[in-house]
Amino acid sequence: MRGVEVLSFLVSTAVLYSVYLILASSMEIEYGELGLPSFAKAAFFALGAFAVGALTVRLGALLTGVALEGEFKLVSYRYATLISASVARNPALGLALFAVPLLVALPLAVLMGLAASYPALRLREDHLAIALIAFSESVRVVARNYEPLVGGTFGAGVVDFLAWLRSPWKELALLAVALAMGFGAWLVEYRISTSPLGRVLRAVRDDEVAAQAYGMDVARLRAQILALGSAMAAVAGVLYAFYAGTVNPDDFTVSRTFIVVLMVVVGGRGNPFGPPVGAAVYLLLDRGITLVKHYIPVPFDVNYLSYILMGLLLILLLLKRPGGIVPERPLLTLRRALPQRGSAAAPQQRGAEGGGPAGT
Amino acid sequence: MLDVLVGALVYSNLLALLAIGLSLMLLTCRVSNFAHGDVVTTGLYAAYTASVLLRVSPYACIPFALLAGGLVSLLSFLLVFDPLRRAGGGPVTLMVASMAVGIIIRYSLHAYADVMQRTLGVYTRQFVLSDFELQLAGLRVPGVLPLSSLTAAVLLVSLYVLLYRTRLGVAMRAAIENPQLAESLGIDVKRVFAIGWFLSGALAGAAGVFLPFRVISDPDVGWSMLLPAFASVVVGGIGSLAGSVAGAYVVGFSELLLSYLLATLGVSTAYRPLISFAAIVATLLLRPKGLSSLWSR
Repeated sequence: MRGVEVLSFLVSTAVLYSVYLILASSMEIEYGELGLPSFAKAAFFALGAFAVGALTVRLGALLTGVALEGEFKLVSYRYATLISASVARNPALGLALFAVPLLVALPLAVLMGLAASYPALRLREDHLAIALIAFSESVRVVARNYEPLVGGTFGAGVVDFLAWLRSPWKELALLAVALAMGFGAWLVEYRISTSPLGRVLRAVRDDEVAAQAYGMDVARLRAQILALGSAMAAVAGVLYAFYAGTVNPDDFTVSRTFIVVLMVVVGGRGNPFGPPVGAAVYLLLDRGITLVKHYIPVPFDVNYLSYILMGLLLILLLLKRPGGIVPERPLLTLRRALPQRGSAAAPQQRGAEGGGPAGT
Repeated sequence: MLDVLVGALVYSNLLALLAIGLSLMLLTCRVSNFAHGDVVTTGLYAAYTASVLLRVSPYACIPFALLAGGLVSLLSFLLVFDPLRRAGGGPVTLMVASMAVGIIIRYSLHAYADVMQRTLGVYTRQFVLSDFELQLAGLRVPGVLPLSSLTAAVLLVSLYVLLYRTRLGVAMRAAIENPQLAESLGIDVKRVFAIGWFLSGALAGAAGVFLPFRVISDPDVGWSMLLPAFASVVVGGIGSLAGSVAGAYVVGFSELLLSYLLATLGVSTAYRPLISFAAIVATLLLRPKGLSSLWSR
């Protein structure tokens, strides 16, 4: 492989890793810590991507004074290229086109997350999971048929917001943006998991009634966590859409949600290091098979094999090592308590931070 | 309009075959089995392969579909769901495991479809099978209508007889009601549940035989029937076998009739899946016991 190819392979792997790290971190907070099967993940991921697909071309056209002619689904790719050429001369335009979809998607995702917490309070966990999957598929069905949104099955073109940079720098800038977002999201998850709030989440997961008896406002907690997790998934969607350069509604199926759940379970539910480990395992398998697929002599498409292996891996882990690769451990939530390890796991709920349930 | 009614009846027959299995698996293992749609596809390809090899109509190959669907379902119970259930896996853990089982089955079928196309030289993707036509009361109807109705009726009635008129059925219902008590009375709960899973899979496999006569088929086609089948279970009332069958006909007919009505108003029929998805969410939130609340409290 030549240098350029190696660079682009590394960059695309790292960007995908960041996207999955954000998604897995959000799933870890919701499902791993709080025990809430937020299986509409693909829909919230799609929300961020749809904001990019629906807005960059239209907004770019508006800002550069180009009139959009013709049906959106037919012309969006052409105008995306045209506006990318303007971005090449005007970095500020690129930054605006990156920021606006993010600013539109975030509040929408928070609102939708709050809306999803309504059934979350009323349904048994497995019924909730089915309801959320049905909702997620509804979003996809609407998006693939309502063409003005992101072009239906044609998909939508996305403006290259980094078009003002030259070749190696452009990829490196995307890499930096992606890694910052990915590890930023993971840091949020890590901070929550290791804080008193994280302990409250796990208390609710393990025994909701007991947590309520201790004065935890479970309803509020679920709404907050779902809003946060949904916003994180939308950020991942924005990043993914800019990386892929196109938005296609059929990219956001239940399988996508399943892959994210797989990362969390494989990594280790309830351990803040689960998402980075799980996402790495998934990408290693997926990318590894793409790299060696020409050397595997099977009479069918080798990509099927990677799905089958992934399914087998998940089932084997659930059967033999249900805690995942890095299982949950009692965490030290107070750095000062480091010398007295023994007492760290004792239940101390006072001083829960960040809108925690204390005093409600 | 006749087409719509024919389509609705065939579709509902297939949904009923799926929904009752889903219900049985929910009752025995508390698992919302996301692999059940792929068991349908297994039956489809088993019957299709047999019909190509034996040069007979796929309708004559329903036994192969029953067997293939039943075996896949039984294996998933013995290898995955029973051990997980014993290890104390919660309903969501079991659901995640079932998604993994579904993915394994689906992509194995994708691989199999490639191999089958190569070795047998027939289309295994994006294919439909041509049906025969019947004169029924002066109307021309496709053969899939009477045959799928007959199959669904025979299989559902046999299941009813098995559950309510035989010792095995009593044992199965007892094991569902209270596994520990049933065990202490000498019922082999695992064996009884395994039979239930085999039967659920067999019914789903039989449903698969009829799919290529109605829709363009490929290894993903059964998966697309899964959420409507869940809608049938939910609308019928989770945990009620009779409810699931009733729910299947309610969901099947509302999907086709409503989308037909909306199409006359200019709404694309591509939005049809939304009807059953909305039914899931609305029933769970507004009337969690579904239709079964009409006859039991």
